[in-house]
Amino acid sequence: MLTSLIKAFTNLFKKPQTIDYPVTPIIKDREYRGLIEYGEESCIYCLKCEKACPPGAILFVKTETPSENEKNKKGLQYHYNPYLCIYCSECVRACPKPDEALWQSNKKPLPATKEGKVNESWFELEKLKKTE
Amino acid sequence: MKKTINIPLGSQHISLLEPVRFKFECENEKIISVDSDVGFVHRGIERACTTKFKFDAIGYVVARVCGLCAITHSLSYTAAVEKLLGGEITKKAKYLRILLLELDRIHSHMLCLSHTCENAGFEAMFMRIMGDRELVMEIQELLTGNRVQFDYINIGGVNRDINSEVAKKIIENLYEVKQRVLGYMDEFTNNWSLSLKFKGIGALSLDDAYSFNAIGPLARASGLNIDVRNEIDYLPFNEIGFKMQTQFEGDINARNIVRLNEIFNSILMCENIVNGLPEGEIFTKLKGKPNGEAIVRFEAPRGELMYYVKGNGSAMLERVRIKTPTFACIPAFTHIFVGENYADAPAILASFDPCLSCTAK
Amino acid sequence: MKKIKVSLESVREEIESFYDYKKWHFLTLNGLALADNRMEVQWIFSKYEALDEVVVYYAEIEYTDIIPSIADMIPSAIISQREIVDMFGVKVDGSEKGLYLDEDSIQRPLSGCAI
Repeated sequence: MLTSLIKAFTNLFKKPQTIDYPVTPIIKDREYRGLIEYGEESCIYCLKCEKACPPGAILFVKTETPSENEKNKKGLQYHYNPYLCIYCSECVRACPKPDEALWQSNKKPLPATKEGKVNESWFELEKLKKTE
Repeated sequence: MKKTINIPLGSQHISLLEPVRFKFECENEKIISVDSDVGFVHRGIERACTTKFKFDAIGYVVARVCGLCAITHSLSYTAAVEKLLGGEITKKAKYLRILLLELDRIHSHMLCLSHTCENAGFEAMFMRIMGDRELVMEIQELLTGNRVQFDYINIGGVNRDINSEVAKKIIENLYEVKQRVLGYMDEFTNNWSLSLKFKGIGALSLDDAYSFNAIGPLARASGLNIDVRNEIDYLPFNEIGFKMQTQFEGDINARNIVRLNEIFNSILMCENIVNGLPEGEIFTKLKGKPNGEAIVRFEAPRGELMYYVKGNGSAMLERVRIKTPTFACIPAFTHIFVGENYADAPAILASFDPCLSCTAK
Repeated sequence: MKKIKVSLESVREEIESFYDYKKWHFLTLNGLALADNRMEVQWIFSKYEALDEVVVYYAEIEYTDIIPSIADMIPSAIISQREIVDMFGVKVDGSEKGLYLDEDSIQRPLSGCAI
């Protein structure tokens, strides 16, 4: 009884368990699995990441204004959907040049908004990919 | 005149948020018969595994069956495919798999204990256990890069290696958790609202546990020696100090004690793994396509999980059958309710630790 | 894994003579779509405290056949029997009521033949 009273009293002066977000930022671990990032200059367009991705969040679609990378013979462009991605880093493991062409950062995706038309634009890309 | 009244628990009831309904027929305060319905949600994961995804991606798909035992699902599937491909993974990968499996068990059991407290009306204890659970979640995040969906297990090994910093943090946090759990042990055995009130409530006898094929902590609290960790050899559980925990009363209190003892055992196993981790690679490439059929069982935090995988030599599998622990235990649940007071029903249900996300696969 | 083939008529006797509730426990009832409108039904058991001893009784049937129920011997089988009714569109004796599907949903999603 006495110990519980003392505990109840000291609890009044304890700091809360929760973080005062957004005033105090959440400390993110360096190794946190976040967004996949892409370095176009080093990419050799082997499309291994596209095949390895379980949810299909990486698409290489033909474009009219391809990059000047000489490995890009078919005129493809890299597309990545952070909202479909499950951050498993299967693509990074499949990549022949990890850390240069494809790597995993610890950043979070921005919230998707209606104006961003995340779904519509992605469905267009998927349609294009199917017709190829 | 009808002497009984029907009271539903779920599916949109205030005390039960999950998609399951128990219809109790009560005479005064006593429950005299129970009808259960678990078919409110069906996500079609078994079909998606055979039509939408290639076999090497399914490990990530089945991890989404359940958030709390995600690791057991992907581990069971991966073990089944490894059995079909016929490869052997390295010893280090095996140990790291057990490490995450046991960390998962610790935090899942802590969640269940906190819910039991909440249903006993002991909100402060609920907050305390949930707060302490963060220590385990922190280690899991350091180890795998994510709090809930670990995506740690891969066909052929594991995805990430452990470094000395993480190992140190694991030992520190587990020591802290152990001290806290010792405190719970005291509360759960001596506190009026957590132990004495729960004694003799929701009891399952050993004979009933046998005949209803009860599994997991539910069965072990009745004295039934069923723990899949004791019955498989794909992972070396016996090398690292696994010990089966059983009680004999079969009531809510016994289930809580079994879970607490299992947390201690899991902490011991984790410490043994981190201290004696063998050297070596964490990944071996396995070649080929799965052909044939395999049954793999694992001990999820809630009991036995079974995967049946059939492949025909192509990238698409023919059949993936998932038997989840809660789903198989529903007949035992309904049996236990009969003869209890209606007022005890939420506490009894919380002590089963039902995972309806697994059930609605 | 040991597989034992049985016929639908004899499955109840086979399981009744084999099943000792203190030695074995029933895992699940599994269905498997085969070619030519046939399916395989599997009754899967495993042994307590033995190293990975799993026994599978299986029978090849047509979708129109009625699977005998074992719920009177093994009460926990009732739930997987109701599941298989919905998933494969077969009939199980005593479990006419399925578990998940509404009347207007896709019938027998796992059967592998015309939906």
